[in-house]
Amino acid sequence: MTVTVERFGCSDAAHGAARVHTIIIFVQERPGAVDRIVGVLRRRRAQMQTLVLARTEEPEVVRFTMTVNDAEVSIENLVEQLRRIVDVQQVVSLTEEQAVARELALVKVESTVANYNEILDTAHLFGAHTIDITPKTVTFEVMGSEEHVEKCIAALQKYGIRELARSGRVALARSTGDE
Amino acid sequence: MAIATKIIPQAGKPMQSQQQEEARMLEGSHILCEALIREGVELMYGYPGGAIMPFYDALTSYPSLHHVLTRHEQGAAHAADGYTRATGKVGVCVATSGPGATNLVTGLATSFMDSTPLVAITGQVGRVFIGRDAFQETDVIGVTQPVTKHNFLVRSASEIAAVVHEAFYIARSGRPGPVLIDIPKDVQFEKAEYRPSDYVTSEEYLQSQKENAPQPEEHLLKQAAALIAQAQRPVIMAGHGVILANAYAELSAFAEKTTVPVITTLLGLSAFPETHPLYLGMPGMHGPAHVNRAIGASDLIIGIGMRFDDRVTGNIKSFATGAKLIHIDIDPSEMHKMKLADVPIVSDAKVALEALTETVDPADKSAWLQEIRAWQACGHEKLQVMQHDERQPDPTCILKAIREATQGEAIIVTDVGQHQMWTARHYTWTRPNSHITSGGLGTMGFALPAAMGVKMGKPDDIVWVVAGDGGIQMNIQELATLQQEGVTLKIAIMNNGYLGMVRQWQQFFHSRNYSETPITGPNYVKLADAYGFTGMRVTKREEVGAAVKRAMEIAGTVIIDFVIEREANVYPMVAPGKAITEMIEATAEESE
Repeated sequence: MTVTVERFGCSDAAHGAARVHTIIIFVQERPGAVDRIVGVLRRRRAQMQTLVLARTEEPEVVRFTMTVNDAEVSIENLVEQLRRIVDVQQVVSLTEEQAVARELALVKVESTVANYNEILDTAHLFGAHTIDITPKTVTFEVMGSEEHVEKCIAALQKYGIRELARSGRVALARSTGDE
Repeated sequence: MAIATKIIPQAGKPMQSQQQEEARMLEGSHILCEALIREGVELMYGYPGGAIMPFYDALTSYPSLHHVLTRHEQGAAHAADGYTRATGKVGVCVATSGPGATNLVTGLATSFMDSTPLVAITGQVGRVFIGRDAFQETDVIGVTQPVTKHNFLVRSASEIAAVVHEAFYIARSGRPGPVLIDIPKDVQFEKAEYRPSDYVTSEEYLQSQKENAPQPEEHLLKQAAALIAQAQRPVIMAGHGVILANAYAELSAFAEKTTVPVITTLLGLSAFPETHPLYLGMPGMHGPAHVNRAIGASDLIIGIGMRFDDRVTGNIKSFATGAKLIHIDIDPSEMHKMKLADVPIVSDAKVALEALTETVDPADKSAWLQEIRAWQACGHEKLQVMQHDERQPDPTCILKAIREATQGEAIIVTDVGQHQMWTARHYTWTRPNSHITSGGLGTMGFALPAAMGVKMGKPDDIVWVVAGDGGIQMNIQELATLQQEGVTLKIAIMNNGYLGMVRQWQQFFHSRNYSETPITGPNYVKLADAYGFTGMRVTKREEVGAAVKRAMEIAGTVIIDFVIEREANVYPMVAPGKAITEMIEATAEESE
């Protein structure tokens, strides 16, 4: 039984086949290069969840890391669409098992004299560091897998989160050991 | 895990110079002209303006570059597109910044959808003004990004030569497409060192690549051959890729060895001789019933250089549900886009067809062909355009007259609408690449400027324009360009006083509410006269043949205004969103 996925990619992708993939794109930095990538994601209606871009070890090369939740066949098509962009040097698609991924979050939590220590203990359980303190707030940085970051945020929720900044996922391909 | 490294094109990259040639200090605009000449450019279409003036100033120093002044930048883009479709050489169009560049957009989108190699050069405001809303400033890189294969903003004169060669390489390589080069005015004035031998041309680079061009993978060819051997009811669907790859002989050889019937898409028309016993017709929305029925009943589709457009497939969910798919296309992103391919072969059509013909065993599928021929013959299919008044010119007899008068050797350029479908259906295409139309984008106003490009690229050929009375008026200003350049076209207007295709849809799907479709036009005889051409008006069927014959005898451009029946329809028709096997055919009431 197949259903039509009303998006880019194969129309007869199997129902329920969507999985999270990490797509890493290396792009030559030229005028319009970043636009072109984002333009393809928009035009082809990619099911994008996070998108991070930053410089790489090479000058004039930008690394995009994004997560997309879709069927394998649609992801493959998206990868080919991205490869059509002239500025794109390389596109890597990784499944969850193939990726080593981390996320950073900065969390500003409401605090009082009474609960200050409790908040600190909670945050430290998740390996979060304190990076700023005011009489009414305490700000942590927490890093780890998305699941870890989300658990930490959930644990701090009850004290009241005033502001939250998440970096989105950055990832590398997991080494196979025989490289 | 899918990992592949893409090699950045070497075209335009400095070579290890042998230092034989002295570098010269040249203005950017002169470097541009010299690089275009090295790319083999002879013709370009354009329109000058403020930000591109340095280029036009340099142009007069290079008499080998023939520039054609169109009357609108859209005309320039379509003319360059027509030129490239007819000749296979890269078409070049030029415009100034702002409105000049934005007027190119429709032409670029047309070229992008139909994968034709085009290079557009636009002037841009000076570098210091970019981003400051200067006079005639438009973010052309941003505007054209979704409708070009690639675009460049040139940042200094020293980049120009490299960018030109890379642009031509990108336009021509792989799946062809339009490339835009945006050059700020001060960069055109700026001087830079230029030594031509420092740069590899697109031709040199393409040739060097040919030696290690990837071949279709052996195991895929074997899988394809096995599917073809097993198939009882296979069909070939050939598209524009066959024409772009010049794979006419290879397609015939493959079809003949396997005896698989051949269907050609709108842009695939003339890729396969229609007089061939294996030829079936055009698929999709206005395809004959037996072709769509054959696709519906097929157990294997061999798609070659085509992309399963919705006008071809109808409702994709019910398209050829029992068929396996061998998909041959040079663009990997076409694989599985619309339909899962059982055997995806990413390759040039010519290379793949040669290899596949060698791999397959000869087969005999003639029983299947006979079955389709029986459907065709059983009268289920009503080929004729239903007319109430037999005395009026009938679209099919106009097309027949043109074909007879030119022995099928003319190149026919159509616009978009009913006449386009009638021409696609009722003209018998036998000469390779003799059918030129805007397929993917469906651009009204394409035919006249494109035909001018066709004729200038193929001056020894006879070029007929077939257009509707709506589309011809959309770029009618280009008649003046024909006049100035002395280009000879034969123009047939199928005049029904309506935007006919929209009217037909209104008839079928909007209860004959003919909203804004009635259209008037000029007196075409007087119009032709005004430009120094010959005009004729034909209102009777028996005059059609003589008019066409006379048009052929006259040396110059001729416009024939064929007054056809106002509500003639294109049959059969598949309603949008329906399966292609559910066709609307002429009703008994209408055929009375």
